[in-house]
Amino acid sequence: MPLVRRDIAKPAAAPAGADEAVARGALRSADPDMRWNAARALGADPASVAALATALETEPVARVREAIMTALMRIGNQESVKALLPYLREQDAAKRGAAIEALQALPDATAPFLSALLHDADSDVRILAVELVRGMPAAEATRLLCDILEHEPHPNVCASAVDALAEVGTRDALPALEACARRFADTPFLPFAISIAVAQISDAKG
Amino acid sequence: MHVSPEDVRRLCEFLYRRTGMLFAEDKRYYIDRRLHERIAATGTQSFQAYFALLRSGLDSEVEHLVNAFTINETYFFREDHQLRCMTSDLLGAVIRTKRPGDPIRIWSVPCSTGEEPYSIAIWLMENFPDVDNYQIEIVGSDIDTRALAAAADGVYGARALMKLSPALIARYFESVSADAHRIDAGLRDSIQFTEVNLIDARAMAQHGRFDIIFCRNVLIYFDDASRRAAAENLFDCLHPGGFICLGHSETMSRISSLFRVCRYPDAIVYQRPEAERDHD
Amino acid sequence: MTTIDRATVPALRVLIVDDSSLVRMYYRAALEKAGFEVEQAMNGLEAMEKSLAGRFDLLIVDVNMPKMDGFSFLRELRRSGAPAGSVPALVITTESGEQDVQEARIAGANFYLVKPVAERDLRSYVAVLTGAPR
Repeated sequence: MPLVRRDIAKPAAAPAGADEAVARGALRSADPDMRWNAARALGADPASVAALATALETEPVARVREAIMTALMRIGNQESVKALLPYLREQDAAKRGAAIEALQALPDATAPFLSALLHDADSDVRILAVELVRGMPAAEATRLLCDILEHEPHPNVCASAVDALAEVGTRDALPALEACARRFADTPFLPFAISIAVAQISDAKG
Repeated sequence: MHVSPEDVRRLCEFLYRRTGMLFAEDKRYYIDRRLHERIAATGTQSFQAYFALLRSGLDSEVEHLVNAFTINETYFFREDHQLRCMTSDLLGAVIRTKRPGDPIRIWSVPCSTGEEPYSIAIWLMENFPDVDNYQIEIVGSDIDTRALAAAADGVYGARALMKLSPALIARYFESVSADAHRIDAGLRDSIQFTEVNLIDARAMAQHGRFDIIFCRNVLIYFDDASRRAAAENLFDCLHPGGFICLGHSETMSRISSLFRVCRYPDAIVYQRPEAERDHD
Repeated sequence: MTTIDRATVPALRVLIVDDSSLVRMYYRAALEKAGFEVEQAMNGLEAMEKSLAGRFDLLIVDVNMPKMDGFSFLRELRRSGAPAGSVPALVITTESGEQDVQEARIAGANFYLVKPVAERDLRSYVAVLTGAPR
């Protein structure tokens, strides 16, 4: 039999607390593998959010950034959300995308911040905020998205809202959708998008 | 209770976003039937209520729905196109950096009741010309200790062996009864079976690094954060340049951006990059 | 004079990469009307898988997508060395500022459009980039 078998030991029980303190220190290591392992070890430790947030600010290696964000997602409290929010304004599309992905997994913790984000001065931030509304229950999401359709000047933000309504919108969204179609009647894409969303919602038999 | 074509369209878009599974128009009837089954099974009584449940992530309903579409039977040489890819393409790349006598480590996780790791072993012995030139180590791991016990026991019914030729069965199994065959003792003893949880970084790290990992039909069932943690652990358990194979209808595009996609004639597999990428 | 039998000329294939299902539907409708064959992907990772698997004549790539954004996808594709790596790409950005245009070019885009994109403009640029008749 040309196969080899080697025994794999079970891990020893971890001493409580000591591991996390070591890992927080290792987040500052010059060795990317140490930082990678450190981030992965801290996913269950709410006390480490500040250390993770600080590390994220300067981390040059993509997979370590990924692991830090995963840890923040797993902790998933409001402090984690606050650590992730600034990245919605990043110039770098990859960093913005990573942040929104992490936040989408934390609908409850993100909820208190949503209104401010939906009214942000930056239309790109408002577009990202609409993605966060998708994660809410249908009635609540519909209410927020209709509010956007009624007041939002930027067509791309409206387009995101329409896309979200196609997924989660209830019949309550129909008047706002139709009004939006009239408002943007002479622009490309939005009239088409709204007609699809209206069809999705109207024909849904519930 | 009526489900409209628009409801089905909504569901398909949701499934596509979550899992990457795409259903063409002519497959929609297939969805319709499964959807009705799941609405009945969950007692939700309407598409709207069912879709709300699905979106909420409660009760692992996405898992149940995806399960309804996939054939969950396990048997020897299941998805043999990946085994073919292993011997046709992956091992060639793996041994490029190895000397004769070096280890080649292959992990089947989850291994369930053992069909997969034993299949890998048999396939290598039958199809890998260099099988005697390296120290090939196969490990099978699962979170389910009963499945692991069955795997170590190595007894299978005729159905599990349905893709094996009589010659292979004669070569690697002994008959224990009319419907039961047992893997030869030598092969049984060659494979290490361990208990592991994919999201437990320490337990995963204990397994060391592998050249090829088969991780089929499990990642898609985790929630977003756990899925990423599992993918990070799997990444860490691969040598740079090592490969990971997912299930037939799974894709890393919904799981993790850590891996490079590799397209081979027999399969799409994913690779831990040889060198670090994306420094700022 | 020989005539080309239009029925045997294979359709040009376009991969639409955008995380919005409505945008994908919109581009698909416009392009299928013009005789193109269309496939879709909803993030850069999926786009990478499909680009390597299918032979496309053009990629239409949105920038902001989960898991892997449009610029990262193009950079990865151009770096891959695969035959699919040199397929022309039309990037759809949300801003027409200098920085975004530069970034599109450096990532490997052949051209860019700013959303929302009008159907007619899409068809014009796709025709130019694929050499298809308008």
